[in-house]
Amino acid sequence: MSGNILEITGLTTRVSGYTILDDLYFSVEENELRVLLGPNGAGKTTLIDMISGRYKPTGGKILFENRDITGLAPHKIFKRGICRKFQVPNMYETLSVFDNVMISLAGHRLVVQSLFHKHTATDQDRVVEILEFIGLVEKAGFPADALSHGERQWLEMGMLIAADPKLLLLDEPTTGMTEADKQKTADLIQRIAERHTVLLVEHDMHVVRRLGNFVTVLHQGGILAEGPLSDVVANEEVRQVYLGQGKFSGA
Amino acid sequence: MTTVAAAGRFNLRREPMFPLWSIAGVAAVVAILATYPLYGTEYVMNLLGMFVCFSIFALSISLIWGFAGILSLGQAIYFGMGAYFIALSLKLSYAAENPTRYGGTIPDYMEWNGLTEVPTIMAPLMHIEVAIVCLLFFPTLLAFIFGVITFKRHIYGVYCAVITLAEALILQEFIIEYQAYTGGFNGITDYETYNNMYFLWVILGVAVLLFAASRLLTHSRIGTVLKSVRDNDVRAEFNGYEVANYRIFVFCFASMMAAIAGGLYAAWMGIVSHLDTGPILSIEGVIWAAVGGRATVIGPFIGTFLVKGAEFFLSEQLAWAWQLVMGLLFIFVVKFMPDGIMGTIGKSIAMGRQRAAYAESEDAFQSGPMAVITRLRSAFTDGNRGFMDNLLGRSGRRD
Repeated sequence: MSGNILEITGLTTRVSGYTILDDLYFSVEENELRVLLGPNGAGKTTLIDMISGRYKPTGGKILFENRDITGLAPHKIFKRGICRKFQVPNMYETLSVFDNVMISLAGHRLVVQSLFHKHTATDQDRVVEILEFIGLVEKAGFPADALSHGERQWLEMGMLIAADPKLLLLDEPTTGMTEADKQKTADLIQRIAERHTVLLVEHDMHVVRRLGNFVTVLHQGGILAEGPLSDVVANEEVRQVYLGQGKFSGA
Repeated sequence: MTTVAAAGRFNLRREPMFPLWSIAGVAAVVAILATYPLYGTEYVMNLLGMFVCFSIFALSISLIWGFAGILSLGQAIYFGMGAYFIALSLKLSYAAENPTRYGGTIPDYMEWNGLTEVPTIMAPLMHIEVAIVCLLFFPTLLAFIFGVITFKRHIYGVYCAVITLAEALILQEFIIEYQAYTGGFNGITDYETYNNMYFLWVILGVAVLLFAASRLLTHSRIGTVLKSVRDNDVRAEFNGYEVANYRIFVFCFASMMAAIAGGLYAAWMGIVSHLDTGPILSIEGVIWAAVGGRATVIGPFIGTFLVKGAEFFLSEQLAWAWQLVMGLLFIFVVKFMPDGIMGTIGKSIAMGRQRAAYAESEDAFQSGPMAVITRLRSAFTDGNRGFMDNLLGRSGRRD
C-alpha cells in the first residue's frame, strides 16, 4: 500500500484527572476503510475529536501525511484534508439541502473569497451530483430541518464528500436509524470508501460486518486489539470486554 | 445543461436579488416619504427623518444578529460615535462663525469647561469631509478591535451580549466624564442642523443604498456562509470556515452602517448626547429588529416605524403605561413570533411552497385535525427552540 496517511504516537488525553486516552499508538493506511470499535467510554469519539482538532491532547503527536497537526484549529486541520461527521447530525438547519452542500464544496473558505465568489454552473452540477449520490436530490429545495433523522445523516455525509477530503472521520453515522436506513448508510459508506480514506466509529455489528475487514478495538483509552474482523472477533479478551452481550455470537 | 433542468426539477426556487415587487414597493414608500414635507407638518417630517436613521441602525443590528447570530447590546456605540463626529464637526464650524456671549470662537461647552481653544486633535474635525472620513473609519476600527478580542476567543451568545453591553456603558461613562471635549451630560447641541426636505432625501438615498447593499450581502455566498455560522458554528468550523473572521467582517460592516446612521441622525436632529451611545438605544435597536424580523432586510424598517411610531402615539395617549406596553410587545414577539413580522410572513410563504412541493411529489401529507394543529403551531413557534434559543437566533438541536 501507499503507506500511512494518519500516524498517531503516544496520544494522551486527561480531563480533570481522568485519563480518556492513554498513550495511544494508532495508524491508518491510505485508501483504507478502518472501523473503530469499543464499548462506551472507550475514547472513540475523543480520538475523533483529537484528530479533527476539537480539543487539544495532553500529550503525544498526530501526524497527517507526515505533517504534525497536533492541536491545530479545526479549520486548519480541514485545510489539510480531514473532515469529520458528528454523532448527532450537525448541519445548517435553516439553509436548504442544496445550500448545505453548496456551502461545503471544496475551496473558497476565506472571507474575501466568499464575498466575491459567484456560484458557477459547474458548482451546481457538482452539488446535484452529490445529492444524487446520497439520494436527497428530490429534497434539494427543502430546509435541512425538514429532513428525517436518516436523511440528516446522509446529508451530513454529502457535505463531507462535497469538501473532498483525503480522510473522512465518521462518528457513528448509523445511530438511531432503522434497519433499512442502516443498510443504505452502509452502502453509502462503502461507496465513499472507494475514493476516500475513511475512519469509521461504529457500534452496530451488522454494519461492521458488512464494511469492516480491518478493525481496531479501543478499551479504556488504549488499543485492545487490531486486525482483520474475524481475528478480532475470535480474540478472547475482546469477547470479555466488549462482547459480553453476545453480539458476536455466530460470527 | 443539467443545471437549468435541475433547478426546475428540484424545487430550487431562487429568489431574484431584487424582485420587481420589492423594487416597486420601496420606490412607492420612498416617494411618499420624500414628498411628505410638501404637504405634511414639520413635526411629522422630523419624526420621519429620525425613524429612517433609526431604521438604518436597526438594519445594522439585524445584519449581525439575524443573519450572523451575534447578539450585540452595544451597537449604539458605533451609532453614537458617528453621531458625535458629525455633531462635533458642525458645532466647531458653527462656533467659528458665531462667537459665544464671551466672544470666544470655540464651542460654548468647551468654554464653560475652561478650555480657551479647540484641542489640536479635534481641530481638523471642523471640516465636514474630515468628519465623514473619521465617521467611516474609526467606528469600523473600534468594531474590528472589539471583534478580534471577542470572536477570536470564541466568545459568543450570551457572553458576547454581556460584553458588548459593558462596552456601551464604558463609552457612555467616558463621554460623561470628559465633558470639556464631549459636552458631557448635556451633549452637543446648538449647531446648524440639516432639517429640511433636501436632507430628508439624502437620508432616504443613503437608506436605500444601504438596504440594497445589505440585500446583496445577505443573498450572495457570504450571506449563506453567515447563515450557516449562525445555524451551526461548530459544523462551520469543522467545514473549514474560520468562523471568527466571518463574524468580525459582518460586525465591522454593520458598525460602519450604524455609524453612518448616527451621522445622519446628528445632522438631522441637531442634538447628540450620551444617550445615543448607551445600552438603552442599543437594546431599543434590538427590539426594532426583532419586531420587524431580524433575519430579513426589510424587517428592521418596518419594526422601527411600527415600534417607534407606537412609542410616540402611546406616550401621548397612554403616558403612564407606554413603556409597560412596549415591554409586553417585546416579550410577545420573542415568545410567539421569534422571526418577527416579516420573518413570520416569509416563513409561512416558504411553508406553503414546501407543502405544494410535497403534494406534487406525491408524498402524502398528513391530514386530519392533529396535522392542522401542528402546522399552526410551527407557523408561530418552533417547538424545538426555547426562549433563549429564540433570543439568540440559534436552533435548539445541537451536538
